[in-house]
Amino acid sequence: MTAAVLPLRERTRFRTKARAVAEQPTDERALVSAAQRGEREAFSALVHNHQRRAYAVARAIVVNHEDAEDAVQDAFLHAYRALDRFLPDQAFGAWLHRIVANAALDITRRRKVRDADELSESVASPFRDPAEVGEVRQRLREALDTLPARQRSVIVLHDVEGFKHAEIGVVLGIPEGTARSDLHYARSHLRRVLSTLRSEL
Amino acid sequence: MTSEYRGPQLAREDDELSRELRAIYAPPPHANYWATLETRIMARIYAGATAGMWWSVPDSWLRAGLLAAGLAVAVAGSLLIRSQARSSRLAYETIANPVAADVFEIARRVQLSEEEETLRRLTGR
Repeated sequence: MTAAVLPLRERTRFRTKARAVAEQPTDERALVSAAQRGEREAFSALVHNHQRRAYAVARAIVVNHEDAEDAVQDAFLHAYRALDRFLPDQAFGAWLHRIVANAALDITRRRKVRDADELSESVASPFRDPAEVGEVRQRLREALDTLPARQRSVIVLHDVEGFKHAEIGVVLGIPEGTARSDLHYARSHLRRVLSTLRSEL
Repeated sequence: MTSEYRGPQLAREDDELSRELRAIYAPPPHANYWATLETRIMARIYAGATAGMWWSVPDSWLRAGLLAAGLAVAVAGSLLIRSQARSSRLAYETIANPVAADVFEIARRVQLSEEEETLRRLTGR
């Protein structure tokens, strides 16, 4: 999917209005209500405000940057289509993060059966996945790959994004106690890996 | 971080681990990247909405279309049955009254509509 699908005039109009909406100290509820009424500019502002955090949630679940990006796009599309089911008393962020987590888990499942040669549709940008840089980080990444997927997601959401145990439970659909014990096991494992690395270097 | 007590050594190790994890999982820092991603997301949403308008038709249109299709099937069926009945009657007449089995007459009769045929019979022509 490319941005070229959107006519230039429409694209410019969306971006300009979205920026204007996003920069206003507008209550998020008002944005959500406007988006529910079909105002795409309001939804664009929600995308603007939430995409980084959505990326972080997705990145905690999938194994690379490209999949996280795909998950974010899928999730926002799904959220847009499901807006009429969003209840006003909910927190939009929490609702969105649950959708992002589901999209990321779906991509993870599909990835297992996907042809490894398939080209990804990632945005061309000078960004390089930091996970590819450095020996220690490479080894740590390998150690992260040996962790059960849920434990990896839990420690990343907790340590990188600062999610609380209860929030992690909501996002991943697990009890808070499970999130707590997953974090404990993941941290113990990675601590050992780092300790071994330190003694080798 | 967890609320459990950790000694200074463990705390240091955990801090180091968190630092490394943040470095590994850092989101792209460029504003351009996020602007592009936002545009792509909205493009997908816009394309989805437009695509919906392409193929979806209002319910009222759908109902009218189905009604018209049903009517067309009924008319076609009725014509088929009448055509078969006419062929059978012609075949019977050909056998029962060979004198009248003039092929040109038969061919001409086939072209006639029911109304014309009735009129012919009534006028005795």
